[in-house]
Amino acid sequence: MSHSLHRRGAPEDLRHDYILLVTAASGVNHENSKEKLRQVLDLVWEIGPINTGSNETGTILSGVSVEEIKAGFTKVPRVRCCFDSEDKMREILKRLLAMDLGISVTVSGPRGRIEEMCQEMGVQPHSVNFSLDIWGKREKLPPEEIMEFVTMCGHGLISKALVTDTIERIKNGSMTPEQGAVRMGSPCVCGLFNPTRAVKALQKYVPSQREETVK
Amino acid sequence: MVVDQDLCIGCGKCVPYCPVRAISIVQKKAVIDQEICVECGTCGRKNNFVKCPGNALHEREDVTRHPRSIRKFFSDPMATHVETKVPGRGTEEVKTNDVTGRVDKKHYGIAIEMGRPSVAASYQDVEKMTMALSKFHIVHEPCNPIKYLFEDEKKGTLTREALEQRVISTIIEFNIEKDQLEEVLEAILETGKTLDTVFSLDLIARFDTPDAMPDIPVLARLGLEPRPNSKINLGLGKPLKEE
Repeated sequence: MSHSLHRRGAPEDLRHDYILLVTAASGVNHENSKEKLRQVLDLVWEIGPINTGSNETGTILSGVSVEEIKAGFTKVPRVRCCFDSEDKMREILKRLLAMDLGISVTVSGPRGRIEEMCQEMGVQPHSVNFSLDIWGKREKLPPEEIMEFVTMCGHGLISKALVTDTIERIKNGSMTPEQGAVRMGSPCVCGLFNPTRAVKALQKYVPSQREETVK
Repeated sequence: MVVDQDLCIGCGKCVPYCPVRAISIVQKKAVIDQEICVECGTCGRKNNFVKCPGNALHEREDVTRHPRSIRKFFSDPMATHVETKVPGRGTEEVKTNDVTGRVDKKHYGIAIEMGRPSVAASYQDVEKMTMALSKFHIVHEPCNPIKYLFEDEKKGTLTREALEQRVISTIIEFNIEKDQLEEVLEAILETGKTLDTVFSLDLIARFDTPDAMPDIPVLARLGLEPRPNSKINLGLGKPLKEE
């Protein structure tokens, strides 16, 4: 449920991390909504998400095409995608408003920025889901630098071992940050993993970068 | 998931992909601990990003049969819950709240995602939380698949079969009257101290006015500060659920 809400990271990094969720509601307006959701995905693709996918097919990051995602829509279709740019997020919202499809639109990201976008566009937001953080046996959590990656898959499919192993490969020069981002993002099936953020966060483990840091 | 021992070459490529560390190499072959495995399917996805050279990873024959299916339906987002027809861990919650009206202006919505992030959860821990909440006479979200695991929903007890299962995460989801918020959050945080896992805590609220976030002073009193990210339903769905 809350799979885009609890992403970790510095506020500056979270400003480059927006999730768009367009969802037909089962039993309310899902009938004949497939074509509307296909229009939404076409629009998303035109603007340029950094990732998109579906529970039915997997993600573009792991090699699935947009056509496959569209073909895989179920009776209760949904579009999930990630943008690494606030400008793109703003643009997609403007276009969705103009399309007026009557399907629920939810944006996950920096609360203050989303509020400002709504005010700019004259949108009256309906409801909000706040993250009140992580509780319980917190000593079982991995370190924050690992959490930043694993929480980009809200279904919890990216293992801390995969993140650690990928970082080690980058440190020893056998993998680039770009390759590392694809590797650790592949288990995420709905397309919320943000490879741009991942690459940026992995840069500091590149041997030459580490040497620069030491100097 | 199981490993076909005749096909496995013991390369270990699958090991780091398991989100619950159920895979290990024993006598040069991968083995999956069936007690730890949550049937998320990650190691054996059809698009094979794990790149298993022997194609040795397969689902158990009983993975979609009760009670093993509990692990799969709650852990694998590519599986759709038989009962609710909704894939993933829970329901559409705030994502369709404009047309479902699940959380109205008189209530708050609470979601407790047990096991998340990165730790996983047993239903024994889940039951500790549902039993602790039972004193508030809460009604669990009817479209949330956890509803089908209760032995006695009023007491918060789960079925014996469910208690033997573990999952990547499962969501306890319900509405409360606004004046219950403080005592319910206190109970949740207190119960959290008794768990062998973690949970992510959500609070869903309606906008009272269109240009200002809901003001919830109780949170500051409890030392809870909403993190900078939020999920905001823009109210573009139709027909809008009127109150």
